[in-house]
Amino acid sequence: MTTAAVAEDTFEVFGTTAVLLVTVAEALGPARALADRELAAVDLACSRFRPDSELTALNQAGGAPQTVSGLFADLIAAALRAARLTEGDVDPTCGRALVGLGYDRDFAQVKAGNAGPPGAPGTAGPAGPVAGWRSVELDQAILRVRLLGGAQLDLGATAKAWAADRCAELIAGQLGCGLLVSLGGDIAVAGPPPADGWRVRVTDDHAAGPDAPGQTVTIAEGGLATSSTTVRTWTAGEQQVHHIIDPATGQSARSCWRTVSVAAGSCVDANTASTAAIIRGEAALGWLRDSGLPTRLVRLDGTVATTAGWPRDDDSAAT
Amino acid sequence: MLRNDMRFAAARRDDGVRKISRLTWRAGIAGVICSAILAVAFGYHAQAQTAHQGQSGTIVVPNQPPTPAQGGGQVTSGAS
Repeated sequence: MTTAAVAEDTFEVFGTTAVLLVTVAEALGPARALADRELAAVDLACSRFRPDSELTALNQAGGAPQTVSGLFADLIAAALRAARLTEGDVDPTCGRALVGLGYDRDFAQVKAGNAGPPGAPGTAGPAGPVAGWRSVELDQAILRVRLLGGAQLDLGATAKAWAADRCAELIAGQLGCGLLVSLGGDIAVAGPPPADGWRVRVTDDHAAGPDAPGQTVTIAEGGLATSSTTVRTWTAGEQQVHHIIDPATGQSARSCWRTVSVAAGSCVDANTASTAAIIRGEAALGWLRDSGLPTRLVRLDGTVATTAGWPRDDDSAAT
Repeated sequence: MLRNDMRFAAARRDDGVRKISRLTWRAGIAGVICSAILAVAFGYHAQAQTAHQGQSGTIVVPNQPPTPAQGGGQVTSGAS
């Protein structure tokens, strides 16, 4: 059975905007309470900017094995799975590279002040390949993790999307309504959708309005995520950098795509593919086509390519 | 005397046939039970493997791609 979306809640979380849409108005309050609880737990597990997070403790353990919570182990497992499925292009050991580029505190603070001169800590000075996802030893059976080779974790490429999936499944399972969870533009849906599906405006910036340049599509299940090099940017030294790290160089990825949106069976899978596409550049087209993932890719000059059944907009060129 | 021997032999023959018949039935039933157990076991294993692959083996493709829509969105997907 499908119903119309009748209630919406917008709030701040993880330094970005979250949106909760439910198909039953009475479910909005309980849904928000469940989301708040889950998102707080995820933040405590894997925030890179909280001194009390499990991720901070692991990064500071100097390679010693750490006992972790089941939630943190699940988050690490999701990140390692993304790395494995993309042959290491989406790598969770980019923590040191991001710090090297000056992204060592909450992004609002990074954006507010430029980093120092090139070569100094917090600048876009010489970097190198990241330690690599195989340097993360995770034993989920006994909840033990160890970082080898000086690896430092950053779960930014998967944690938000994973949390959206988790909230959507949990809330739909407990409340029985249809809902959409958007965490900074990473979208997961669950339960019976509205009659016409969930309408999503795909654009560069999740904070843009509903009529921002882009395309409107509907989804009824799974997830949709967008990665872009245009929004989370800052200046390090004299360079403009962004948060999507190419593990091969330890620097911001230089891509022919400025924005990539992917629909998949889950939000974390969509985000894995969209991030990998930015890093892979032109080669992403063949990979996405072969994978059967519906994708919208926007080049630096604004022209659009699509794959695997993603609907064309006026200026798109289906591949 | 000869008639008694024949009757005895016939009774032994019928008894043997019954025993073989019982054994055949039991073997058949045991075969059916074993087949059912194996079918359930293999079915469960295949299902578990499929679920595992869905979670870990590949990026999962949606059952249907996004469809075009008019106007603005209820929500925006973009970078954050």
